Amino acid sequence: MPLLKEFRYHSPATVGEALKLADKSKEPLLLAGGTLVLNYLKRSPRCPSDVIGLKKIKALEGIKDSKEGVSVGAMTTIAELLDSALIKKSFPSLIQACARIATTPIRNMATIGGNCCSRFYWVDLPAVLESLGAKVVVATSRKKQIVSLRDFLSSKPSKKAVVTRILFPRKDLWGCYFRYTKTMDVDIPSLGLAFACRRNNSKCADVRIIVNTTTSLPLELKQTQKLFEARELGRIDPNQVRECLDADAKGTKLDEYRLSCLAADLGNLK
Amino acid sequence: MKKITLEVNGKPYALECPDSELLIETLRDRLGLLGTKYSCLEGECGACTVLLNGENILSCLALSVEADNAEITTIEGLAKGSEPHPLQRSFVDKGAVQCGFCTPGMILAGKALLDKNPHPTDDEIARGLDGNLCRCTGYIKIIDAVRHASKK
Ligand SMILES: Cc1cc2nc3c(=O)[nH]c(=O)nc-3n(C[C@H](O)[C@H](O)[C@H](O)COP(=O)(O)OP(=O)(O)OC[C@H]3O[C@@H](n4cnc5c(N)ncnc54)[C@H](O)[C@@H]3O)c2cc1C
Ligand code: FES
Ligand code: FES
Repeated sequence: MPLLKEFRYHSPATVGEALKLADKSKEPLLLAGGTLVLNYLKRSPRCPSDVIGLKKIKALEGIKDSKEGVSVGAMTTIAELLDSALIKKSFPSLIQACARIATTPIRNMATIGGNCCSRFYWVDLPAVLESLGAKVVVATSRKKQIVSLRDFLSSKPSKKAVVTRILFPRKDLWGCYFRYTKTMDVDIPSLGLAFACRRNNSKCADVRIIVNTTTSLPLELKQTQKLFEARELGRIDPNQVRECLDADAKGTKLDEYRLSCLAADLGNLK
Repeated sequence: MKKITLEVNGKPYALECPDSELLIETLRDRLGLLGTKYSCLEGECGACTVLLNGENILSCLALSVEADNAEITTIEGLAKGSEPHPLQRSFVDKGAVQCGFCTPGMILAGKALLDKNPHPTDDEIARGLDGNLCRCTGYIKIIDAVRHASKK
């Protein structure tokens, strides 16, 4: 028996064509690397009428540098991000996160766009992208707009909108990403911590601390961010870190184990 | 149905297959290339690994229509006539095969790695093979075999 139920496959060459196809379709589905969605289709009782492959669309490719920042095509694979000299130089925390995603063959297939659009809370990239102030370009048949990743993730998912690029307006941010798993092997995260700041004569400025809780949208640790502002890494009282974390964790599902992991990582930042 | 052309192990194939057919189904069920294994079918185990334009990918997560015009290498395409590929030779010499179910995927992942990085460290070998699970060998001999092949 075939592994997937029948659908029509389309391979548009432009974003406009993809959007037209999506608008006309009864039940469209955009396909990027397929590592999430093809698995889902094998199990789902539902089936799209039209699968719209994004692989042939040139506008969704490439990593570009300009005065306005770095622009990454939504179809850039995780492996391409890891190989990019520009990403390595500009966004070490993004490299740290990509290096921990899944396995070599999955990294060869999976895309940054698919990671951001999956709407699964546990995926790795949204927290680190948010810490770096990333924005996404979203195209629909009516308009094309640039929105913050947070606004995009909080909005209602649409099967008729294509994320074309991920934008990094700032290249002056240093950052790192910590990730916990339940097993020692390749595993999806049970917690992720993305830290980013400008290093101003060894002091932190514009601090962004975003947690991948895996059960909700990425969580911004506002109190903890304030504590790190204008301070030198490695010189912050661990008790104060923990107090701020506790304040940030109120009303969230961050448990003692996760809070102690976060406190240890933030305390060890140098 | 779509008409597609695949170059599999250097041989062109003109095929007509359903839009929703997965590459693993085309390779095994249409072309009879049974070295590509059906296993988890969820991207976890690597038994369905093939090389697509030289990169190791999982054929249980790829649509055949998306491989139109691509070059595909399966385990059947590595030996030259009766002469095994150096990686195949090394897997035999180093005792890196037990039941053999993971072996095609392991060897293809090893090939993708060595084509990109001919002299990897053991850590780089382990990372290059991180998408391939083996229930039998304990991995040590597999890493030995890839290291051994890299020295040939
Ligand atoms: C074994 C395994 C392990 C994994 N481990 C990890 C892990 O450790 N960390 C992690 O983060 N993820 C992991 N994943 C999940 C997945 O591989 C990644 O999240 C990947 O980045 C998804 O990208 P994709 O290109 O394959 O998306 P697809 O599966 O093609 O698409 C995902 C969703 O996004 C939509 N979409 C894709 N691109 C666009 C676009 N440009 N515009 C609008 N909508 C779009 C699709 O319609 C679909 O709903 C794992 C998956 C597997 C199978
Ligand atoms: S069968 Fe494809 S990864 Fe297991
Ligand atoms: S040799 Fe049996 S699974 Fe690897």
